[in-house]
Amino acid sequence: MRKLLLAAVIVFAASLAAAQEPASRTADGHPDLSGVWWPGSDLRVPPLNPAPAAPGRAGGPGRGAPPPRRERFEDNYTDAAKAKARTLSDKDDPALRCQSTAFGTLSVSLYNTGLVGQIVQTPKFVVFLSETNPTFRIIPTDGRPHRDDQPPSSRGDSVGRWDGDTLVVDTTNYSDKNWMHAEGEVSFHSDAMHIVERYHRINKDTMEVEATIDDPKVLTKPWVVPKQTLRLAPFDQIMALDCTGIESAALMEAASKQNYGKK
Amino acid sequence: MTRRFALVLAALAPLALAAPALAHHSFAAEFDADKPVTVKGVITAVRLENPHSWFFLDVAGTDGKVEKWSFEASTPSSLIRSGFKPGTVKAGDEVTIKGYHARDAGANAGAGRELVMADGRAFAIGPTVGPVR
Repeated sequence: MRKLLLAAVIVFAASLAAAQEPASRTADGHPDLSGVWWPGSDLRVPPLNPAPAAPGRAGGPGRGAPPPRRERFEDNYTDAAKAKARTLSDKDDPALRCQSTAFGTLSVSLYNTGLVGQIVQTPKFVVFLSETNPTFRIIPTDGRPHRDDQPPSSRGDSVGRWDGDTLVVDTTNYSDKNWMHAEGEVSFHSDAMHIVERYHRINKDTMEVEATIDDPKVLTKPWVVPKQTLRLAPFDQIMALDCTGIESAALMEAASKQNYGKK
Repeated sequence: MTRRFALVLAALAPLALAAPALAHHSFAAEFDADKPVTVKGVITAVRLENPHSWFFLDVAGTDGKVEKWSFEASTPSSLIRSGFKPGTVKAGDEVTIKGYHARDAGANAGAGRELVMADGRAFAIGPTVGPVR
């Protein structure tokens, strides 16, 4: 038993040491943000025969107390935006029809609609790739200005710069066709939106992201996004997963006509 | 994507602190948790794609006519990372799917919770929001 305990302590200490290992750097001296990042896991399907809940714990498989609500983009809507929001619901979510979010369901733009994203860093670009609603953002870090030769898009146009060890990403030129978050959360934005994100890899396994989002056409004040912590995933390549389905949207639309599911 | 995200949160204890709150489509906006449904048929297509995976099957009715059924399932990444490999279930396989009927009573569709193959192997393919039978 003591040997087992000792082994567990050693494994725990080793994992702690790995977590404290500094991030590697690129040849030009900047932190290397490359890797696959997630919150610590992807979502899992609840098993058919889950282990019984510990005594005194509420909830069963697939249920549980709802997580505490955090501030969201739409909390700062203008009165006009609030009025528009009341005309929309789950069934109108562009993500149901394979449209990317403008920001992210978990308020991490790298993840987009899902929970997994990959960064590929080169001397001139940092490239963000998202797995769910596959999208890319090519972020130049060589000092060039925003492009003026492309139309507005769902993920905007980004430029980056290094502020010490922090990558600062400035994004503009959004279209106004998608929502900030998915999951049926009414969170439309305008084409005037401006997002500034700060990525700081604090060690080998951990990166912190902060963001400030301004959208004067629909917000009364900028939204300062709570700091998000990303973990390095234990694999080095995201999956190529298409988005093609419209069946879910059709079923929601049909149910809506029967007056179900109205928020 | 969608309701499944929030409904499986409880299975993600390690994420409880890392993952912020997820708003989600109301399950009730699309499916009726009080209408469990079980169908047995032959798979015609499996689509591991976003925003949801889908299982399509032909089901022989009591009158001998074949009905087309479809079941929404969890996101492809969550299914795959939960152990469901692409190709595990394929066209031609005889399966039984248990789940919840769509709110649209006229649709042969539902939210899949459990898929059982002819050899008895069973897979969780979606959330549980009530009894399935």
